[in-house]
Amino acid sequence: MALRSISRRFGSRVLSYRSSSVASLHSHATSFGFQQVKEEEKSKLVGNVFTNVASSYDIMNDVMSGGLHRLWKERLVGKLSPFAGMKHLDVAGGTGDVAFRIFDAVNSVKRRALRKVDEDSLEETQIYVCDINPNMLNVGKQRAAERGLGDNKALVWVEGDAEALSFDDNSMDGYTIAFGIRNVTHIEKALAEAYRVLKRGGRFLCLELSHVDIPVFKDVYDLYSFKVIPNLGELIAGDRESYQYLVESVRRFPPQEKFATMIADAGFEKVEYENLVGGVVAIHSAIKL
Amino acid sequence: MYRTAAKRLLGAGLTTSRLLRSTIIPSSYTSNLCTSLMGHTESPIINQSGPTAASSSSSSSTGTGEGPRRKPRPEFEEEQARVLSASLRHVARLGWTEEAMMAGSRDVGVSPSIVGSFSRREAALVEYFMDECLQLLIDRVDSGLDLQNLIPSERIPKLIRIRLEMQVPYISKWPQALSIQAHPVNVPTSFKQRAMLVDEIWHTVGDGASDLDWYVKRTVLGGVYSTTEIYMLTDDSPEYRETWAFLDDRVKDAFDLKKSIQEAKYFAQDIGAGVGKSFQGLMNGVMQTMSTRGGGSTSAF
Repeated sequence: MALRSISRRFGSRVLSYRSSSVASLHSHATSFGFQQVKEEEKSKLVGNVFTNVASSYDIMNDVMSGGLHRLWKERLVGKLSPFAGMKHLDVAGGTGDVAFRIFDAVNSVKRRALRKVDEDSLEETQIYVCDINPNMLNVGKQRAAERGLGDNKALVWVEGDAEALSFDDNSMDGYTIAFGIRNVTHIEKALAEAYRVLKRGGRFLCLELSHVDIPVFKDVYDLYSFKVIPNLGELIAGDRESYQYLVESVRRFPPQEKFATMIADAGFEKVEYENLVGGVVAIHSAIKL
Repeated sequence: MYRTAAKRLLGAGLTTSRLLRSTIIPSSYTSNLCTSLMGHTESPIINQSGPTAASSSSSSSTGTGEGPRRKPRPEFEEEQARVLSASLRHVARLGWTEEAMMAGSRDVGVSPSIVGSFSRREAALVEYFMDECLQLLIDRVDSGLDLQNLIPSERIPKLIRIRLEMQVPYISKWPQALSIQAHPVNVPTSFKQRAMLVDEIWHTVGDGASDLDWYVKRTVLGGVYSTTEIYMLTDDSPEYRETWAFLDDRVKDAFDLKKSIQEAKYFAQDIGAGVGKSFQGLMNGVMQTMSTRGGGSTSAF
């Protein structure tokens, strides 16, 4: 009880890593950035955030990361190594960045190999893009139409919750979640769902903003996060609070090792992570066996 | 399979390869046993050796599931070995490629996505094959290959022949395997595997009567093996007769080379001795004259 009120007083401006112990209060409270909110409220609040940012999501990504987010997503898809005939699920992939990349990888480069392996042509590649927020999905559908993929049956846009997926058990070859898992109320549930829908041998890949430990760089990064990003949010997207929430939620997310342990607890094998840009971003990968 | 995996994990030293054979209890197997007995979901962190992605840290752990009611799930290493083993059947048709590995994974009943998680994809398949062949060679030798009646320069060709014949089913795609092994990223592992192979052959042959250095022996044999391997790629003769003839010639050359080097060494020593003696004599003469002259000059004072 006392801890909860202390963290409220600390508020959203002060960096307090010690208050991460409060995050262990799973039952009725969860974190929304540095605020403590009721669980039921969190998904609503997150929903609001993304309804507000949907239209300028892509531009803000470019500005905040200096265009680096594209490289990170390329790396994610490279690690996935997509193949023709695969069933892939991209969760929280609203605007379709990762999905489009997977689609391109499967269809352009590997087409040469398609002719060699006859079995592959029996199965159609299916990329499901799942997002809890319909606005984000609409932006994604729009982008697909712009690329001429509007009618393509390979891309399927589904509205759904990462904690309660509507897909069958053992149906997916790959599962990716890029910059989405920190917005989930119960991370363990999302991981368990990921485990459920993946086939045997299926891969789980998570790209997420993570913790930096390098001494001087850490301070630079903190400065950038808390001073520059909310201002950019106000300037470009007209929404300071949402981007304040974003940088806070990054700090509240478990560090790389802890998250890796959580993934292993969900039943995955060969859990590994790779830090990019000194830990600003981490790609966790695992296999279901 | 465990032996080779354990060998690679432990980065077996060249001379300890024989010791490892008899005392293997792979650590991963025992830990799997322990956790399934305890019905625990907590997993021991096992550091996987081998190259991982370029940037800083990576860790790996194995989870074993909910409890004793689920059957113990296979370790990733085992699963990888099964997929690679199944993939070998497709190599003749698809080459040492990801497609072959995906076909192999389908055979085993695992999603082809697993191929994406093998470090250095195609190289994993080639290295698995090299390990398997080495293991087969060791098994052949252990199961009583008759080498007693042969002199060393005949034992070596026999062993190399046995090993190269294992590659015959894949010979059409072997150039691809060689080029994969030559990639800078893959060179450390392929070099180590070849070194282990050469070491194994020398062990089996037994130390012949030779004065050459340990390293030189293995380098020479490595050279003979590689050149024969490459010769075999372009050999069309029935049952590779010409390759074996080439092999015999090269081994003879190597032994002749050894003898020539020895002779050259003795020759050099003799010359050195001769020159040394005459030089010594010269120096002695010089010293003597100097001392008599010096003695003479002092006596003048």
